[in-house]
Amino acid sequence: MADFSEQSYRQPFPFLDIDPTMESLTQFAELNPQSFILDNSAFNFQTFFPLSINDSLFSNQASQGETMSGFIHNSNQSSVSAQPIFSAKTEVEEISNKRKALDILESSSGNSSSSSPQVSETGIKRRNNSGRGKRAKSNEKEMEKPKEVVHVRARRGQATDSHSLAERVRRGKINERLRCLQDIVPGCYKTMGMALMLDEIINYVQSLQNQVEFLSMKLTAASTYYDFNSESDAMERMQRRKAEEAKELERLMREGYVGIGGVACFHSSSTYGSL
Amino acid sequence: MNNPHHLNPTSLKSRFTTRFLRALTKIRAQKPISSSSPTEIFRRYRRIKVAADKSMAYSVRSRRIWSRAMLWKLRSRSYRRQDPCSGRRSGKTNQAIMKKSSNENTTTRREDGVGFVEEADELRQLVPGGETMNLCNLLDETAHYIKCLTTQLFSPIGKG
Repeated sequence: MADFSEQSYRQPFPFLDIDPTMESLTQFAELNPQSFILDNSAFNFQTFFPLSINDSLFSNQASQGETMSGFIHNSNQSSVSAQPIFSAKTEVEEISNKRKALDILESSSGNSSSSSPQVSETGIKRRNNSGRGKRAKSNEKEMEKPKEVVHVRARRGQATDSHSLAERVRRGKINERLRCLQDIVPGCYKTMGMALMLDEIINYVQSLQNQVEFLSMKLTAASTYYDFNSESDAMERMQRRKAEEAKELERLMREGYVGIGGVACFHSSSTYGSL
Repeated sequence: MNNPHHLNPTSLKSRFTTRFLRALTKIRAQKPISSSSPTEIFRRYRRIKVAADKSMAYSVRSRRIWSRAMLWKLRSRSYRRQDPCSGRRSGKTNQAIMKKSSNENTTTRREDGVGFVEEADELRQLVPGGETMNLCNLLDETAHYIKCLTTQLFSPIGKG
């Protein structure tokens, strides 16, 4: 059986990074020796596997744009009914389902890197529900992984249903991001609550956008001023040139005025003469 | 060594500056001498502002949701101006997904269970493309957007 399970996770998924899952495997092995083989394959996919199986079983499409909450609800609804099916399935079927799920995985891996904590939680939750009950709860402690997959376990005395677990992880991520934003945005103090910090962030973004608009207006003004100035230079030059030309024309006219004027006088006199 | 001001030629700052400078020179070459009527000035201001947004969005490409949303907005506006009768001509993939999800979300109010709905909605209006994001992604995008805005303001074009 062990050989088969080894094969099962080596063949269809050579791209998987087995190292980070080995730690989780050993940890979970001591908790659940019986279900080790079945769930061994699950954790080789960094816990995408149980959800993807449910997904392929209970929904026909796995669209890429599916939000994480939809994903979790899907799996939560189906997780209870999936238990008997999962245990009754033969290993051959598992492999074929894994292969089918591979496409879904690959296509959604880009989107769901942020979803891995929730996914891992439902995986953990299912194993909690598989009958270990108190024993699993008392043995658990919180563990953080350095990589993206965050395994968050419930503390003693806290609710372990998947909803609150998922909520807690989401809140943790939101808090972490708010802390990052707090460093970026000036004027955010740690003592302020989340609502106040969000208000500060909104004000900051608005002021930045206004500054960008104002500075692009300044650029426009500078460019029109520059053009206007250069244009006035050109006009001055043109005017100067025109003045010179006018002077030339005057000179010519004065010189040739006698001829033209003479012709004109002659012409007028001739007309008068005829009359 | 050549340009001590741009420490990294592929950094966001230098990419934005290059693109924006190119766009600015193009704008100035188009209308070298224009009348100083207010409409002309306003038109030029709109062009410069669009050039700034566009060069910023192109420097970030499609790596971020807000840049994709901004590019889509710019493209659809330019298509509408060129040919007002045409339908949706731009690429379908991102735009279709975003439109679909924005249609879905307009009817349902995003109650993330965390309790900051009003502020979150306001933030969604500020950040381009924010209507389609849940709170977690929204905060991510806000941080990157703030970083890009400050790059714009402190670029050596003289904006800052």
